[in-house]
Amino acid sequence: MAKKILIVDDDPNITSYLTEFFEDNGYATCAASDGREALDVAKKEKPDLITLDLEMPDEWGPRFYRRMSQDPEIKNTPVIVISGLSGNQYAIQKAVASISKPFDRDELIKIVRDAIGDGK
Amino acid sequence: MENDAASGSVAAVDINGTIGGIVGPLVLVEPEADLRDALEIHLTRLGLHVHKAGNGQAALSLLKEHAPSFLLANARLPDMSGIDLLRLSQAVSPNTAVIIMGDPADRKSALAALRLKATDYIHIPVESEHLEVALTRAAHWRTTRIKIQHYVEQLEALHQTKVLFQQLFDEVPCYISIQDKHFRLTGANRRFKEDFGDTIGSICYEIYKHRSEPCRDCPVMGTFEDGQPRQTEEVVTSKSGEKINVLTWTAPIHDASGHITQVMEMATDITQIRKLQSRLTSIGLLMSSISHSIKGLLTALDGAIYRLDSGLEKQDMDRVRDGADRVKEMVAQIRKMVLNVLYYTKERQLNWARINVRDFTRDVISIIGPKAEAAGVSFTHNLSSGMGAFEIDPGALRSALVNILENCIDACVDDRSGSERKHVVTLNVTDRDGFVVYQIQDNGVGMDQETREKMFTLFFSSKGSRGTGLGMFVADQIIGQHGGSIDVDSEPGSGSTFTVRLPRTLPPEIRQPADPDTGEPDQASRTEENR
Repeated sequence: MAKKILIVDDDPNITSYLTEFFEDNGYATCAASDGREALDVAKKEKPDLITLDLEMPDEWGPRFYRRMSQDPEIKNTPVIVISGLSGNQYAIQKAVASISKPFDRDELIKIVRDAIGDGK
Repeated sequence: MENDAASGSVAAVDINGTIGGIVGPLVLVEPEADLRDALEIHLTRLGLHVHKAGNGQAALSLLKEHAPSFLLANARLPDMSGIDLLRLSQAVSPNTAVIIMGDPADRKSALAALRLKATDYIHIPVESEHLEVALTRAAHWRTTRIKIQHYVEQLEALHQTKVLFQQLFDEVPCYISIQDKHFRLTGANRRFKEDFGDTIGSICYEIYKHRSEPCRDCPVMGTFEDGQPRQTEEVVTSKSGEKINVLTWTAPIHDASGHITQVMEMATDITQIRKLQSRLTSIGLLMSSISHSIKGLLTALDGAIYRLDSGLEKQDMDRVRDGADRVKEMVAQIRKMVLNVLYYTKERQLNWARINVRDFTRDVISIIGPKAEAAGVSFTHNLSSGMGAFEIDPGALRSALVNILENCIDACVDDRSGSERKHVVTLNVTDRDGFVVYQIQDNGVGMDQETREKMFTLFFSSKGSRGTGLGMFVADQIIGQHGGSIDVDSEPGSGSTFTVRLPRTLPPEIRQPADPDTGEPDQASRTEENR
């Protein structure tokens, strides 16, 4: 079964971009548009990796991360921060990687492969 | 200070030293050589340095040369009288004490001598005791005279210093007040009086802050307590009601025994700096807000191009079309953001004209209609005919209304409550009491009170990274510039209603600068054009 990536971003354009890009590279995806929804989806879908935007309207990325790491079922899921905030590498220190928008696709897919291997 | 003054000029006539202070040069004028020599011996023995003369002219040149402490002259001289010499000496050497020697029977000379302020008139033949007393009095006269001169000079200098300090006090570019322990003003400089009223005797917090009780953490009180100067920043209110940001500095004023009797408060007007600073802060916020949204938009644009590319690669025309649509959408969003930023960074004047309400509104409808359709929101409007014309800047007002309408569409799209209700945005245009009223209504997510109150402030966005926090701010600015108003009525979950009221004629102060025939463009707008 394909490895699954949860995409957390409040901008639907970016969510659909990442969805398409990961699927083209053989991964399965699911998405959430804020931190609260992301926690529900993460528990249900048990993704292999999460990409996380930091600045979202209802719940901040860092808050989601804190809640996620308190949940034994999903706390070990690797997280890649993809955000427009400068200095974002300090926001979530345990993240596998922190990359800035706009990002380099090849760099992103390399980080994903290093973290969880190929999609299939 | 006092020591210096004493050693300066009083020392020259030190009366504490030799006998009765009889020191310094003396000019002796006596036509008879025997008497002259005898007197010289006697005077030299008293410690005086004697210059001798036999007549008035010789005496005058000695006076000019030596400006002596004393002049001892016979009332009868070959070329002039002793009285004439006395008169002339006062012009040549005014600080010389003059003693006239004369015939005891010559009362006329004696009286004239004393009237002309000779210090003494002694009789011939001269008795040595009499001469010593006369010299002592003369020395005393001289000391007193020089002291008085010195005091007069000091007094003048003091007066000048006082005038100078008063000028400094008044003209210094600060508000200076002096307060007692009860915050009562006991002194204030001109600038203070100009902006806060002639206020000696009134209470600091009443006049400065229009309060009825002392301020918390009053720096004046603090300085009274520990004698240390204090620096604070305050906002004070002038007598005309203007708010002034001031940087204040307090300093204690001590009495002779070292007790703090009063405190001086000096306040510098920093309103301009604060205004500039808040503008700079806004620009800083603007920059970070813009850079954040540009990053988001560029990422989304990357995504759109990726879809276009991958569609071309796979020869999937649906993907290509979808990718191209997204590229267009992103470009339109970037354009909108840039235009909003330009509007904010430029303090533009309204470029107004008299425009038909119906034509203008149709323009707005033709822009927003397709957007609503693309978002799956139905858009209806009621626009009666015969609405007449109004004075507006069509470009600016169009973007204001489009900003509000787009917000309403977004509010519908954001409604994920899953209810079956159909989302509608409605635009009603009516004439009410001479105002053109645009009522814009949606049944989207609605707003809570906090969002409603903040929605027109700069950089406030309820849309996270999709909003720049500029759209509604700019809309509010534009409508305000037209002399109009926006009212918002909203409940979370049931939608919002915006009521925009626009006067048919612009306020006079707005009309003026925009009309190139009647009004001079001001400095700012001219610079703008030159860019």
